[in-house]
Amino acid sequence: MPQTLSTREANLFRTVIRHYEDKQYKRGLKAAEQILKKNPRHGDTMSMKALIMNSQGKTEEAFALAKEALTVDMKSHICWHVYGILYRQHKNFDEAIKAYKFALKLEPESQQIQRDLAVLQVQIRDYQGYVQSRFAMLKAKPHLRQNWTALAIAYQLEGSLEQAENILTTYEKSMTNVPLKTDQEHSEALLYKNTIIAERGDIKRALEHLESDCKNCLDRLAVMEMRARYLGQLNRKEEAAKAWRALLDRNPEHPEYYKGLIEALEIDEKDEAALKAIYDEYAAKYPRSDAAKRLPLNFLTGDSFKAAAKSYLTNMLDRGVPSVFANLKHLYSEVAKKEAILALAEEYLKEHKGSEQANGDSSKGVGAALYFLAQHYNYHLSRDLAKAMEYVEQAIELDPKNVDFHMTKARIFKHQGDTAKASETMDRARSLDTKDRYINSKAAKYQLRNNENEKALETMGLFTRAETVGGPLADLTDMQCMWFLTEDGEAWQRRGNTGLALKRFTTIHNIFDIWQEDQFDFHSFSLRKGQIRAYVDMIRWEDSIREHPFYFRAALDAVKLYLDMFEKQQASANGTNGTGEATNGEDAAEKKKAAKKARKEAQKAEREAAEKAAKQDPNKATAKKDEEPKKKDDDPNGLKLAATTDPLGDAMKFLTNILQFSPKNIEGQVAGFDVYIRRKKYLLALRCLNAAQALNPEHPRVKEQFAELQKAVESLDDAQSAKVKEVLKAKFSS
Amino acid sequence: MDIRVLRPSDIPLIQHANIENLPENYFLKYYLYHALSWPQLSYVAVDVSRPAKSAYDYPKIVGYVLAKMEEEPTDGVQHGHITSLSVMRTHRRLGIAEKLMRQSQQAMVETFGAHYVSLHVRVSNAAAIHLYRDTLGFKTEKTEAKYYADGEDAYCMKLDLAPIREALLAEQLDEKDAKPKIEEGKGSEGVDEGEAVGDVGRDPEADSKKEDKTVKVKVGRGLGVGELVERDESKH
Repeated sequence: MPQTLSTREANLFRTVIRHYEDKQYKRGLKAAEQILKKNPRHGDTMSMKALIMNSQGKTEEAFALAKEALTVDMKSHICWHVYGILYRQHKNFDEAIKAYKFALKLEPESQQIQRDLAVLQVQIRDYQGYVQSRFAMLKAKPHLRQNWTALAIAYQLEGSLEQAENILTTYEKSMTNVPLKTDQEHSEALLYKNTIIAERGDIKRALEHLESDCKNCLDRLAVMEMRARYLGQLNRKEEAAKAWRALLDRNPEHPEYYKGLIEALEIDEKDEAALKAIYDEYAAKYPRSDAAKRLPLNFLTGDSFKAAAKSYLTNMLDRGVPSVFANLKHLYSEVAKKEAILALAEEYLKEHKGSEQANGDSSKGVGAALYFLAQHYNYHLSRDLAKAMEYVEQAIELDPKNVDFHMTKARIFKHQGDTAKASETMDRARSLDTKDRYINSKAAKYQLRNNENEKALETMGLFTRAETVGGPLADLTDMQCMWFLTEDGEAWQRRGNTGLALKRFTTIHNIFDIWQEDQFDFHSFSLRKGQIRAYVDMIRWEDSIREHPFYFRAALDAVKLYLDMFEKQQASANGTNGTGEATNGEDAAEKKKAAKKARKEAQKAEREAAEKAAKQDPNKATAKKDEEPKKKDDDPNGLKLAATTDPLGDAMKFLTNILQFSPKNIEGQVAGFDVYIRRKKYLLALRCLNAAQALNPEHPRVKEQFAELQKAVESLDDAQSAKVKEVLKAKFSS
Repeated sequence: MDIRVLRPSDIPLIQHANIENLPENYFLKYYLYHALSWPQLSYVAVDVSRPAKSAYDYPKIVGYVLAKMEEEPTDGVQHGHITSLSVMRTHRRLGIAEKLMRQSQQAMVETFGAHYVSLHVRVSNAAAIHLYRDTLGFKTEKTEAKYYADGEDAYCMKLDLAPIREALLAEQLDEKDAKPKIEEGKGSEGVDEGEAVGDVGRDPEADSKKEDKTVKVKVGRGLGVGELVERDESKH
């Protein structure tokens, strides 16, 4: 039964909602209390109160109250809606969806509940549910174009391209007046439809549609690119060539355009002269284009390569472009090219020796050549570190204050394995240009490689925002500075501080959670903005966001660290610690010391934080009233993470993502095996092993792991082990 | 080098380039906000010469321009704004920043009918000021005191996009004559191209730092796009 309120209290209830929406939580609570005084069992008010409490950070109380509200008034859509919102905010999307669905059953006309449900469905990729929701929303408000577009998107994501196209067409037919040329939403909807036609594989029709309907679309570059691609796919060579040329005139730095043009002109890919002629044409037309001059180096061979490389290199060294080596090193996979480039650089140096003074700018001419040769000998395919050092010293002599020269010197030390000197030298480079964050970042990175975490953070602090509470580390975490967190974690790991290492890797894991949640708001935002193609691109990218090397590296580090922890726990449990090896005892003592130090540091940090908090006047503060409280980190030093009794279980949250999103990365499979065999999950271990073997049968760990697995199941005869044995047997007999 | 329009999948490495190079940094969501509001305006420079390290390699971003349209222009004139632009130190003097900027400006006019583009730059950033003023033709509008978090002043600079607008208009008029499309866009930049071509050896270093202070606080740090969304949504 819906519970009724008096007029006065009904009005009060409305103000509760308004205060909540305006984030006036205290006022909202006050109003809610007033209602509850007279109607202590009013479910809707209890729910609203719970919602407000949740926003104030009182999660548990909020959930309890919301549940109680439901028992009081099971038939209230508000109670169910609030229950769903609470679940949504705590990322329990399945439960949230269930609650929304109940709410919607009770109040089928509610736009708001329907919308909340729809957004959640697309967020968790329940596309069938999303289609249903968007269908209902379209039915409720068919005059809004957004609703048609949204249903088309739902169909497209679900895989029903034909329906998606039909929906868009139906809307177009219903339009009574022609939209303005500047109508962004219309323009984008047409292009979106065009991508769907192309996705259906009907390129001919896509081209026709593009030329008839999308001619005046505002995203001109997209129209030009799509047209060129379609013409190419349809073998309409002459027109395609023209289209690619128009694109090159817009942007002669995009290799795809040259490729398209060359294909359209049907130039044989072995006909170096004809290919070169195309690039030369654009190099002449756009003298500032780098691509037209550099790309031919990829396919030219022999003397024509030498000639082209010489002119490219000479031009760059004359101008003193520091990136010239970075632009050429990919050619080093071909030995002849590598040698030719070296010869050219040496020749250049010989010719210009003695002209240093005339030049004035020492980063050009001789200086540039010396710098190039230093990088050449520092590169892994042409490495001779002694020579590299010789050249870089000469360059520094010429220009002692050149940041780039010192930076390369630091890299050479790094490759020599001398992380201390590398760190020192990079810091020297930093000191030569203290306003440049790039060199500052590099200095910090080299300090981390040398296990100087504290110093590195200080260095980073020269550029982080001073006003961020919690200092540089908090700012770098807020700003999602992945490289720093990773390197910092790895350095702590090397120093034996398991807690801080795990802490950093976990932070990266959590940032990926944030990145996944970041898309949430765009499900409705993008519909209003109308940039549908970009939105669909985003959805597809988000689907595999954890395959990113940023994630993989930190996750693999974490898994390996957990494996180490497990081994150590086993060893100490079995009392086999320190069997024979003298270093082991020392090692353990060292670790103990490190752990003790870490604990002390943690206590100190906590104390300081508490003091700081105490000094702060809670009323004055930065006083944005009722602002959502920032959650306090109850484990800033990762001590809780490090204290786990089940490291392998904890490793799983990283490992499952590795195996799901980067299955083709052999290191991940190898680590997966290591975890599963220790967890005695032999079938899963076998699966990782098979995957690793398929990726690279020569990998050193693959053979070892086969033996390991065989040994593990040898004496077992449960069903799982029997299965594994069978597979292994089959493998080896074949 | 490959200069092309930004894709959402580039964003982690754009964010990486930003925090590596500049003191003004943003959440990933703020990049998404640009990429999903004005996907035509932001460009990246990609190092295409790097061999892939794994099956999950992402193109290495060595430079980017993050741009937007001013949503509620105070002067009522449609215009673009450069939120952030930077190029890795290892890839400077290649003219990358200039190329990124020109692509973005072209799209600002074509797609959003921008009349001008504005930006902020640190008064001490000589290399960036050289790029904007001497190479691209920006004019200093005014100085904003203590614009940056560390207390440094900013020049507020503007570039009139009329040349691009006019070239575009002329081209649309010419279309009837089926005149082949040469110099599309580029022709419009002839004003400073002469200088630039003659200046091949002196490409400006391409780093500069700027961002919209108020929006950064509102969207990038404090509230997030979500707040905008919720508010707008209630209007329907």
